[in-house]
Amino acid sequence: MNFFQTVFNYIRETYTDRLFYFPSNIRISLLIILFCVIAVLELYVYISFRRAQQIKRKRDEAKWKEYIDNMLANLVIFDESDSTEDIVAHFYPKMSKLPLRNPIVNEVLTAEILTYHKNFTGKIHEVLSILYRRLNLDRKSKKKINNKNWEVKIEGIREANEMRIKEMAGEIIKYTDDENSLLRMEAQAAYIKLSEQYPFRFLDRAQERILDWHQVVLFEIITKNKQLSIPSFSHWLRSSNDTVVMLCLKLIEHFMQFDAAEEVQRLLKHHNPKVVKKSVEIIGKLELADAEKHMFEVYFDQPEEIKLEILNSLGKISSGNYNDFLSSRIYSTDPKIKKEALYAIKRNPEHGEEKLREIYKQTTLENQALIKHVLDHRIKP
Amino acid sequence: MREFLATFETFFNNAIFYYALFVMGSYVVLTLLSAIEMNGYMKKNSYVNYREILVSPLAPSVSILAPAYNEEATIIENIRSLLSLHYGNYEVIIINDGSKDSTFQRMFDYYQLEKVDFAVNYQIQCKEIRGVYKSKLPSFSKLTVVDKVNGGKSDALNAGINVAGKDLILCIDVDCIVQEDALLKLAKPYLEEKYQVIATGGVVRIANSCKVEDGKLVEVNMPRNLWPRFQVLEYIRAFLMGRMAWSRLNGLLIISGAMGLFDKNIVIKVGGYDHSTVGEDMELVVRMRRYMYEQDRRFKVVYIPDPLCWTEAPADLQVLGRQRNRWTRGTIETLWMHKDLFFNPRYGILGMLSYPYWFFFEWLAPIIEFLGISIFILLAFMGNINWEFSLILVSMVYFFSLALSTVAILFEEMSYQQYTKGGDLVKLLLAAFLEPILYHPLTVYWAIMGNVHKFAGKNNWGAMTRKGFTEKKAVQEAPTQTTTI
Repeated sequence: MNFFQTVFNYIRETYTDRLFYFPSNIRISLLIILFCVIAVLELYVYISFRRAQQIKRKRDEAKWKEYIDNMLANLVIFDESDSTEDIVAHFYPKMSKLPLRNPIVNEVLTAEILTYHKNFTGKIHEVLSILYRRLNLDRKSKKKINNKNWEVKIEGIREANEMRIKEMAGEIIKYTDDENSLLRMEAQAAYIKLSEQYPFRFLDRAQERILDWHQVVLFEIITKNKQLSIPSFSHWLRSSNDTVVMLCLKLIEHFMQFDAAEEVQRLLKHHNPKVVKKSVEIIGKLELADAEKHMFEVYFDQPEEIKLEILNSLGKISSGNYNDFLSSRIYSTDPKIKKEALYAIKRNPEHGEEKLREIYKQTTLENQALIKHVLDHRIKP
Repeated sequence: MREFLATFETFFNNAIFYYALFVMGSYVVLTLLSAIEMNGYMKKNSYVNYREILVSPLAPSVSILAPAYNEEATIIENIRSLLSLHYGNYEVIIINDGSKDSTFQRMFDYYQLEKVDFAVNYQIQCKEIRGVYKSKLPSFSKLTVVDKVNGGKSDALNAGINVAGKDLILCIDVDCIVQEDALLKLAKPYLEEKYQVIATGGVVRIANSCKVEDGKLVEVNMPRNLWPRFQVLEYIRAFLMGRMAWSRLNGLLIISGAMGLFDKNIVIKVGGYDHSTVGEDMELVVRMRRYMYEQDRRFKVVYIPDPLCWTEAPADLQVLGRQRNRWTRGTIETLWMHKDLFFNPRYGILGMLSYPYWFFFEWLAPIIEFLGISIFILLAFMGNINWEFSLILVSMVYFFSLALSTVAILFEEMSYQQYTKGGDLVKLLLAAFLEPILYHPLTVYWAIMGNVHKFAGKNNWGAMTRKGFTEKKAVQEAPTQTTTI
């Protein structure tokens, strides 16, 4: 005990009576020590408090989740002959008695209704939509959408999106060109689903980039939504926003929109190499034989990546008009060009492989190895 | 003489003090930057549905490159784990780097391999590839095995790059436990950044004492052994604090060799991995970055805080020492190879901040610390030490280190909270108390030995023996045609 008393007295004296008499570096060191000790103690308290709070929250969440889950599970086993209004009338009083002012209950109930809504169709889907509105959860979603915090806005947009609250499309469109890329993406994704009249209106006004990631998300939504009426995406191929053009090209490719052929050909002279590459890819996929000559015209001015894509597309079209050109590519100094040209020749379903065997007999050892590679069906191009 | 010694002591005290202050200041700045980056990342990614990348035909394609050298005990399990990752468009390329055991034979038998007529385009230098093999079984169509003459890890990775057919390459250690969604998370930055992303890396975690089943991590535990436990703390600090901050600054110099995703074209353009260094992971990133600066192209190297890969940390001090020795030599070699970057404004943040930081604080710090301790001992022998002041200075460093580790633990708590058991948290906090006294002096010693070995011309990798995660199965039956993975 004496030792600790001595240490304590020493520390106290050091920080009270002696501090100002130390050289500056020792003084700074002492202040840093003090700061660190206080910081560590506070961090310990905070970490412990946080853990305790977390445990309590988890317990509460689990309790309410179980309760609400049981309640909603009864929806599933409801008699098919009952009308939607009867089912709502049965459940609404029970649900309205929930302590919705408690944020945990509110969060859990919203999340559970959203999950059930996502996983069920038909009457249950409809009942949940009505309950959501009757419980005024839609108003809360609207409030969230107009919140100044972007994370809360996203939450609101997601809720409106899942519950198909169509009247919120008007509120949401203003965020489809927001500076915050996440908010922008969520708003675009929701707008497509919620706007009844013109779900792709946001493409007309898109000034901000639609990042590749957003394109993945939008692509999924657009291609998986069977109720969406798909417009001709060639309409936006003259957009000054290259990312809009890219998204539309991907959609043209997916929906095989042959009416876009002319516009796609025009894009072979686009300033953005990514757009050119995608256009070439689509020409191949749609097998637009008329575009072959345009691709050939631009071929020699393109970087390697686009040259490879042009060769690939010529192979897919396989009109036979450019066989000599493809054969001549095996004298290129670039092995990638050679390989792609050989694959293009092979793609001709009638005499592709035969042609390769013919070339094999007359060419160098290096090219022979490449031809063997291309002819090996176990290797994917 | 006495006057000289007194002057020297004052100078010495001040020099060490201000250097320490500078180092600590830099840590504080990095911690703040890391907090901003982590917070942004956590907010941004709480809304992400990774399933969209998984199913999308627009997701970038990935070749996983895993060099294998004498891995007969675990190779089948490791490959199976890689083949079951959650990602749509990827291939797995295992490079048998001239193993002396039955690694290749086991793969050959189990996956029913056959040689294909693969024409390897030797775009980057590597030792002779003896053959490229594919499985006869359609369920393993994603698998390619490259059999080559032994040339080391860098050489094996270069061979893999020459065979890779996808846009991105994931270079990993074959014995790592990869999280199933690791690829999704690593690929996402390639889709969302404004500038070209050339490399992404994620957090590597320590798997000692964790429960592993069928090549998958099923329960996270704090290592029972003290040395891996210190490494847990060290990794949390390095990954969640250091690398996140450098990612924020776009000044990251290293993507862990255990797992990193790279833009294949850029890797090929810079000539792939360098065979002459033992710090090939850091050297590649530095070379890729300088290439992008030289081409005047805007780019990013991104680090994500998600735990993506679990590795077995050395529990044996000798093995750990060899590893740290190698890391030090790797740092020295990379810094020496790219010495023209030092405060070179042409290379932006790389030349003006990242390189000097690594030079002064990663390479020089242990040397200065060692010199400081040596001079302190010398002065103590000569009776020229103010013990009280020395104690205060040492205490400052100790408490700062403790505070820094505690903040790192807080980051872990607020982000992924891998150690959910209360006991594990207490163990981690206790490790923070002991680490500066027990573990740190050893890391300084190993770093000094790394310097000594480097300048003495010792350049070997040093054997890395591992215990393994699970008991090895004696026999692994070959699958039939109907096997699904």
